Amino acid sequence: MLQVKNLTVGYGKTEVVHNISFHVERGEIVTVLGANGAGKSTILNTVVALHKAKSGSISFDGKDITNDRPDQLVRKGIRIVPEGRQIFPQHSVMENILLGAHIVKDQKKINAQMQSIFARFPRLEERKDQLGGTLSGGEQQMLAIARALMTEPSFLILDEPSLGLAPIIVTEVFDLLKQINDSGVTVLLVEQMANSALKISDRAYVIETGNIVLEGTGEEIRTNPDVAKAYLGNVQKM
Amino acid sequence: MQELIFALANGSMYALMALAIGIIYSTTRIINFAHGSVIMIGAMTSYWFISTVQMNYILAILSAIVINILLSILIYKTAVEKLGDLTNNSSWIVTLFGASIIIDNIARMIFGTEPKAFPFLFNGMDIRMFGANIMVHEILMIVIAISIGIAYQFVIQKTSFGRAVRAVSYKPDTARIMGIRSNVVVLTCFAISGGVAAIAGALIAPLTFASYTMTYAVGIKAFAAALIGGLGNTKGAFIGGIALGLLEGFVGLMIPGGLKDAVIFLIMIFVIIVLPGGILGAKIFNKGNIAAEKI
Ligand SMILES: Nc1ncnc2c1ncn2[C@@H]1O[C@H](COP(=O)(O)OP(=O)(O)O)[C@@H](O)[C@H]1O
Ligand SMILES: [Mg+2]
Repeated sequence: MLQVKNLTVGYGKTEVVHNISFHVERGEIVTVLGANGAGKSTILNTVVALHKAKSGSISFDGKDITNDRPDQLVRKGIRIVPEGRQIFPQHSVMENILLGAHIVKDQKKINAQMQSIFARFPRLEERKDQLGGTLSGGEQQMLAIARALMTEPSFLILDEPSLGLAPIIVTEVFDLLKQINDSGVTVLLVEQMANSALKISDRAYVIETGNIVLEGTGEEIRTNPDVAKAYLGNVQKM
Repeated sequence: MQELIFALANGSMYALMALAIGIIYSTTRIINFAHGSVIMIGAMTSYWFISTVQMNYILAILSAIVINILLSILIYKTAVEKLGDLTNNSSWIVTLFGASIIIDNIARMIFGTEPKAFPFLFNGMDIRMFGANIMVHEILMIVIAISIGIAYQFVIQKTSFGRAVRAVSYKPDTARIMGIRSNVVVLTCFAISGGVAAIAGALIAPLTFASYTMTYAVGIKAFAAALIGGLGNTKGAFIGGIALGLLEGFVGLMIPGGLKDAVIFLIMIFVIIVLPGGILGAKIFNKGNIAAEKI
């Protein structure tokens, strides 16, 4: 479904992602693991066109999307839940959700989708008139996911959704991701919480300083002794 | 009474001009230093449509709005998108000042250096109000300014476009992954700002004379009003504009001619030093964080 080939990305003169290739097939959950600063966010942001690649190509459903704009990707069904959630703090919860549906012009469609979102996230409905900034971290994460689901994407990208959340909420988030995947959405996940992410993943890549150093099934990576060593903290915590 | 209405009328135009600066500032965090020229072009083209083309007053202002929208889009496309690196403060400041100088000189070539007497709406008709003779034009200045302020506030708070503007204003990149074309939103704000500037320029011109020097004579007061009130919010623009209008009226009663402006600017500089964020306290020197990108 997503094909990334020989992708190189940098900021100014410094190159932070070096000639990497990976792919995600329809229906999969694929995790990208890597330490802080490895280049995970850079890769995801390049996929959703917030950054320009220095070289390489990205295709989606067999079509080249390397030079698409972010809004074109949203229309094609690719959505990202960015690192740190990026809720609009001065917009109400309702407005945050509506922003997620910005490209949808059909008011009936928006209302129907909103109802199904509220059925899934009753807490967001209770808080719909509150400002986004007043939600707890877990609620903001739910809002960030709900907002992305407003356009019924076929491909959902999440950048460290567990970041800064209590373990019990993290479990909730991963359960939700599994559910979303079961409903037919392909998921590309970046995580440092190695263990819980790998448990729900079909496949995984490990990246170090902008290079893919390992790939395999979720189970292979999870039980790989090198990974255990590198992400020991994370693995043992869970 | 006449003096008070006069001051309020002027003040409401300063408010509109400050609002137009704020519209751009709030989405891009840049101060449009070419704004004075945009106001001037609004006034001069209105004058030209009225005097040379013999257009009706309202039609002339509407045409000037169109010209100003196009001019603002051109300023965005050249001075901001092409040349001005928004991540680098000195870059867009230079390109926008440059644009201002170019526009002023072109205006001088087209319209000449002589100040033009700009007609009043309804030929300067008076009505008797509050025991004084008050010009309908001045009343309309106030009414139009307030209407535009309310309409703008409504659009920003209640419509899908306004929601997107606020999102872009907070974080352009996060807005983009919602499917919002941040650069189109910014361009639209430039266009709206230009349109508002045309109205303000044309309505204030009968009180000031229309000339290419309006860029400084009037434009600088727009910046002053914006800074006094606090950049980037409607209420601040109105507080700043009205405060400046009243200050001007008050000082004008006591101090004659040329010295008047000097005193006003001294007071203004003092206010800005004491309240660097304006009366409503906004951050002034935030760096732009939107990448100028071709759209
Ligand atoms: N906007 C930026 N400008 C310059 N360097 C950046 C920027 N964002 C990230 N980097 C650098 O790129 C590298 C990869 O960062 P990032 O992709 O955020 O890593 P990760 O998401 O894996 O923690 C880091 O060295 C980081 O310092
Ligand atoms: Mg990251």
